[in-house]
Amino acid sequence: MALKTLDVLGPLHGYGIARRIEQISGDLLTVNQGTLYPVLLKLEQEGAIASAWGASENNRRARFYRLTRDGRKQLRAETRDWKQSAAIIGRFFAAKAEDLR
Amino acid sequence: MRAARRLLRRLVNTAMRRQNDERLREEFEEHLALQTAENLRSGLPPLEARRQAVLKFGAVEGIKEEYRDQQGLLFLETMLQDTRHTLRRLRHAPAFTITTVLTLALGIGATTSIFTLVHAVLLKSLAVANPGELYRLGKEPRCCYENGYSQEKEFSMVSYDLYKYLRDNTTGFSELAAFPAIEPRFGVRRSGSSEAAQSYPGEFVSGNYFSMFGIRAYAGRVFTPDDDRADAPPAAVMSYRLWQQRYGSDPSVIGSVFNLDEKPFTVVGITPPGFFGDTLRSTPPDFFLPLTAEPLIESDADLNKVSLHWLDLIGRIRPGANPASIEAEMRVELKQWLRSHWGEMSADERAKFPEQTLFLSPGGAGIISMRAEYEHWLQILMTVSAFVLLIVCANVANLMLVRGMERRRQTSLSMALGAQAPRLVRQALTESILLSLSGGAAGLAIALAGTRLILHFAFPTVSGMPGIPISASPSMPVLLFAFGVSLLTGMAFGIAPAWMATRVDPIEALRGVSRSTARMGSLPRKTLVVFQAALSVILLSASGLLTTALHRLENQDLGLNQDRRTVVNIEPRLAGYRPEQLTLLYRRIHDSLSSIPGVSAVALCTYSPQNGNQWGGRVWVDGHPAPGPNDDNSAFWDRVTAGYFDAVGNPIVRGRGITEQDTSTSRHVAVINEAFARRFFKQQDPIGEHFGRSGMGASRQYEIVGIAKDIRNLTYNLDKPTDPFYFLPEAQHDVSPDAGFTEISPGSHFLHDVVMVTKPGASLALAQVRQAVASVDPNLPITALHTLREQVAAQFTQQRLIANLTSFFGALALILASIGVYGVMAYNVGSRTSEIGVRMALGANRSDVFALILRGALALISFGLLLGIPLALAAGRFLGSQLYGINQYDPMIIAMAILVLGSSALTAALIPAFRASSISPLQALRAD
Repeated sequence: MALKTLDVLGPLHGYGIARRIEQISGDLLTVNQGTLYPVLLKLEQEGAIASAWGASENNRRARFYRLTRDGRKQLRAETRDWKQSAAIIGRFFAAKAEDLR
Repeated sequence: MRAARRLLRRLVNTAMRRQNDERLREEFEEHLALQTAENLRSGLPPLEARRQAVLKFGAVEGIKEEYRDQQGLLFLETMLQDTRHTLRRLRHAPAFTITTVLTLALGIGATTSIFTLVHAVLLKSLAVANPGELYRLGKEPRCCYENGYSQEKEFSMVSYDLYKYLRDNTTGFSELAAFPAIEPRFGVRRSGSSEAAQSYPGEFVSGNYFSMFGIRAYAGRVFTPDDDRADAPPAAVMSYRLWQQRYGSDPSVIGSVFNLDEKPFTVVGITPPGFFGDTLRSTPPDFFLPLTAEPLIESDADLNKVSLHWLDLIGRIRPGANPASIEAEMRVELKQWLRSHWGEMSADERAKFPEQTLFLSPGGAGIISMRAEYEHWLQILMTVSAFVLLIVCANVANLMLVRGMERRRQTSLSMALGAQAPRLVRQALTESILLSLSGGAAGLAIALAGTRLILHFAFPTVSGMPGIPISASPSMPVLLFAFGVSLLTGMAFGIAPAWMATRVDPIEALRGVSRSTARMGSLPRKTLVVFQAALSVILLSASGLLTTALHRLENQDLGLNQDRRTVVNIEPRLAGYRPEQLTLLYRRIHDSLSSIPGVSAVALCTYSPQNGNQWGGRVWVDGHPAPGPNDDNSAFWDRVTAGYFDAVGNPIVRGRGITEQDTSTSRHVAVINEAFARRFFKQQDPIGEHFGRSGMGASRQYEIVGIAKDIRNLTYNLDKPTDPFYFLPEAQHDVSPDAGFTEISPGSHFLHDVVMVTKPGASLALAQVRQAVASVDPNLPITALHTLREQVAAQFTQQRLIANLTSFFGALALILASIGVYGVMAYNVGSRTSEIGVRMALGANRSDVFALILRGALALISFGLLLGIPLALAAGRFLGSQLYGINQYDPMIIAMAILVLGSSALTAALIPAFRASSISPLQALRAD
């Protein structure tokens, strides 16, 4: 999700990513925002995202994360995987409905 | 890929101790600020806005911790932490640390140094290319000659003719090389130099020998099959050792001419360092000569004797070839070759023809005669050193347990404060492994020195001669072995204490343990002491048995007089003498040495008693039926000069000895020993009878003129009856009509030993002896000079080494076991101080307390000793053949071992017992 956010919105700081996830999910996902940071660190260590210091909206120093080429590749792969598994599960549900009828 | 990249980043972070705490804090701060601003915008009061933001963010510390764990490698970090912690702790207990490391170093060092030998002798392959492709002929190593067209069990040695047949017809070998099983000595002198000839070991090898091994010359070239042709110019390859040590790596050696036994050979190349030929032995060859050069050097050449089998074979199989099918192929060839010699075979050999077969076995380790010889004693030493290591482990485990007990309060406190049990175990294990690794490092130093020492004693080197090609410096496998042993040791002695540490109940411990009389954890420590005592009994009784066996060997009655006798080893062959010149030379040496003041008798012989070498062969007695195929008609023999029997102190029981009257023109005579008379004449009187050593047709070769008392000439078979022996005069040369009137075995006329007897009270200056020999011929080399007693003692070098090493290990075990008993008892007394105080306050007197403690120790020790008895019996069985006829279950020796161990362990227990009995009840109760 963090990757997709960065893909859509471009470079963003941690708060921005957290907000975006909240908005997209329609406030359905209300995890602690802090847990985002270890995830970001893991992604950065894997080389999917990179980070640099920049100025935030209220002109304070903030850490901006952006997607790298590897990250984009990873995102594409994961999107495909997800779509595939979602499609399979979707088909299962569909089949069930028909059987019942 | 991604995971790998992540691991790398984390590793780097850990290594650099990079902590981005500041960055994290700043990010969090920014996050909260933004969220607060957002909340403010949505209308919350400032305080509430901040509170909501923090709530939404979650537990800051938890997240921080998770973040840190993600950043570095948790496992590695805690390990580093534990290591640092352990080092700090060990620094605070220097006495404990030093004792433990030293004890461990002794155990690991002893094991490693024995393993170095085991590796070199039993496990290592030759230093050649792809040793796995090499196969040799024969299952068991055999030496040195087999005659005829049949061999017992397997055809494992071949003649040159059979070698060529096998080489040319076997398709599975890419190369098949041959070389004799015996190692000749050559008298070597660089052509044009004026120095005296020196004796070096050499080897005849087939032309493809080096290419079979995949050995390239270090300098110059090695042999090609062209060098191994009868018409090829005589060439030689020199060993790297000799080139470097004797000639200072002089490049002009290559291409220059060396005289080997006075025959010129051109040195064409140098072998690479580390190559010691086909056999691991104490004197690796310094000169390699082509097989076809054998007739140039040996006057009695074996090369063209079709039915004399004297060559070993090693071949390199073609890649992918199957050794079993090569074996089958060679068996067929052997039968074909034998059939082509059907006409020359005796009826006996024809009868044995169907059962003739051969075997191939892996040859990567070369000809393994040394392996067969040393396997058992290396096994003994390895077992003994493993026992010492076990005792060391037990001792250190004991120390660790005591240490764990002392730290119990600290551990309890840690656990009460929330330390996890696995982490505590890991800390304790880190400590023990750290200790054992440093012990291992120190042990390597001990091993290096130890191996040097053992090699020095086991294979004494003569200066100028090559030594045994075993390096004392640890190789990779040895280093790995030491590391593995250290790690295992660390775990072995660390696991129990570590596990015990976590079984502490925090509350119980904090409540005040010193008041309790329950001796928690004393069972494992007692078990360890019992175990140590049992192992020590084994080691002590083994060393007792070996020492007794050695003592008996050294002091047995060899039947010869060793007092006032000196043996001079000479090599007339090296000075270029021919067999027919020798009688005169010996006459002059005899006269020259006899003129030294104080010398009462001088005699020469091929080999003096207990020299280690001996000629042997079959004999045929005149008038007796021809011996059957299974009759043993072999006997050992010696050529001697007049007065020999007096010189070695061997009494003549009937007839006469060899005298001045036995000359080349007089009738050929022989003196036999009593065993010879018993074996071949039984009730008959042997004096005046005849026998020969060249077959049934020559059985009247020698007339028996005397019988000498049985003495021990041989260095082996000492636990068996004396072997048949006969003595021939040096001056008489055997000429056999069926061998074309040529001399048979002229080599036996080269006498190696001069025995000199000095008058009682007279002392012999060795310089005088050298001078006397030099006055006869300055070129005649003296290879060794020692007393007969020294010569006899030298035969027991290995037995002495095993006995001494085992005794050393036994003493070590004794000391360690005593320390173990002392440690356990001292700790017991320490932890029972208040209990003893109470007992004394209630009326127990000092002797009661003394007895109480001693009784505890006695129970432990006697249990261990009882356990040790059956084990010691088993050890005696294992030693078996090393004991030379002494009772392997000798109850006296086991009793002695038990007595020694029991008394020293009791002594060790006395000190804590005294300390216990001197406890002041008042102080004991007040303490704590």
